[in-house]
Amino acid sequence: MVGTFVGFTTYLGLSAVGIDNAFVQLVGVLVVAVGAMALLGAVIARYLVLPLKSAPPLNILLITLMLGTVLRESVRLFYPDGSNPKPFPYLLPTDSWAFGSFTLRADSIILFIGGLLVIIGVNVLINKTKMGLAIRAVAQDEETAKCMGINYTFTVLLTFALGSGVAAFAGVMNGLYYNEINFSMGLLLGVIGFSAAIIGGLGNIYGAILGGFLFAALQTVGAVALPFSSAYKDVFAFGGVIALMVWRPTGLIAEKSSERV
Amino acid sequence: MSSANNLEIKDVYAAYDSADVLQGVSLKVEAGKITCLLGSNGAGKSTLIRVILGLTQPRQGKIEIGGKNLVGLQTHNIIASGIACIPEGRKMFPKMTVVENLRLGAFQETSEAIVLERMDRVFDIFPRLFERKTQLAGTMSGGEQAMVSIGRGLMSNPKILLIDEPSLGLSPLFVRENFNIIKRINEQGTTVFLVEQNVHQTLAIAHYGYVLSQGRVVAEGTPDQLSQNDELHEAYFG
Repeated sequence: MVGTFVGFTTYLGLSAVGIDNAFVQLVGVLVVAVGAMALLGAVIARYLVLPLKSAPPLNILLITLMLGTVLRESVRLFYPDGSNPKPFPYLLPTDSWAFGSFTLRADSIILFIGGLLVIIGVNVLINKTKMGLAIRAVAQDEETAKCMGINYTFTVLLTFALGSGVAAFAGVMNGLYYNEINFSMGLLLGVIGFSAAIIGGLGNIYGAILGGFLFAALQTVGAVALPFSSAYKDVFAFGGVIALMVWRPTGLIAEKSSERV
Repeated sequence: MSSANNLEIKDVYAAYDSADVLQGVSLKVEAGKITCLLGSNGAGKSTLIRVILGLTQPRQGKIEIGGKNLVGLQTHNIIASGIACIPEGRKMFPKMTVVENLRLGAFQETSEAIVLERMDRVFDIFPRLFERKTQLAGTMSGGEQAMVSIGRGLMSNPKILLIDEPSLGLSPLFVRENFNIIKRINEQGTTVFLVEQNVHQTLAIAHYGYVLSQGRVVAEGTPDQLSQNDELHEAYFG
């Protein structure tokens, strides 16, 4: 959400100085939003998460939830007219093709490919590069990772920067698709994303993706196929999440087991 | 090997909260040799390793490698000065493959060619690891995990290798095998600081030894001197 607003502000800035080529604007919006959020993520990690690392995980979860509220309310109060939705610009081609009753929009395709590239990119980064090796080592065993000569603090900051940067990318994609942004857009999305990760299986990137599509499918079924109003689609979808969690507590794709049997 | 690569521990005090663990420990790990530190449970052996690695800050005292003080440096900078550790309890990364574990051992090495060459050397020592290259380390047996841990310690080609209780939890056969490997590593030029409870096998390969009891060095000497030393028996059995 903050990333989207930074992107939006960048767009306003670029327009104000007279740059109105949509492609240049898009690149500028992405670079500034992702860069600024990566930096914000690193700062949050340095001053809020690292000092708390010996605290119980619940405290860290609470801190991040509270920080979310602080960021949300800050945008609402301090961004000019922040409590009202803003029209996010159309920076992608608005072409569309009709196949019978089905219309395919060019921006949908571009966003889909963009998302796919980010997924592949993050996956390669985590699993194939030395940086990813350091990130995974630190996640598994902090002290042994240090003994391997990994710069612990730097790796943690990098991880948070990466996560926040990807979130900013998602925020900008969301703005480009719905063409409207507001200060609380991240709240429901955050809960949905978290649920998607849980039903898919934590610790597995494909699980989270599967969970995301499953959640969207539940929402659509809730809106279209069931006899009550579409306003209840989230109620239906979250009900489905609860049922799935009871059925498969570790998610649909359980983490690759490394325990000895 | 010159004395420039000696590891010297000078009058180190360390404590967890109010419990004193190390009380003025001084010892010298001479370059090119195997130096051992014996002591029973709770003597402070592992704490000394943690202090050397910068994982626990000493209250006072100095740790020097070739005259350069390591106290206060971050762990990755201490590793960069040529120290590697084979930690107590093996501590491999259970959700990574054997190859990934070995790669982490050479994390600060930037040349891919050198990393691969060292990995070949590790596979020479432990052919079993080559057969299980892509297996997750957490699914391996205790003896195989010990191989991963030792191999990983060799991957940075360290000047000084710290080995913390390599015999812990292993069958006698593996223990003997591991001690032979440690001896071979040393013969190839790596300085070894071996921390152990297993007196006889340790003294059989060490050049010099220290005995730690309740946070103090109570005896030192060559293996011959130590095996006849009353303090050693006292430290263990008294």
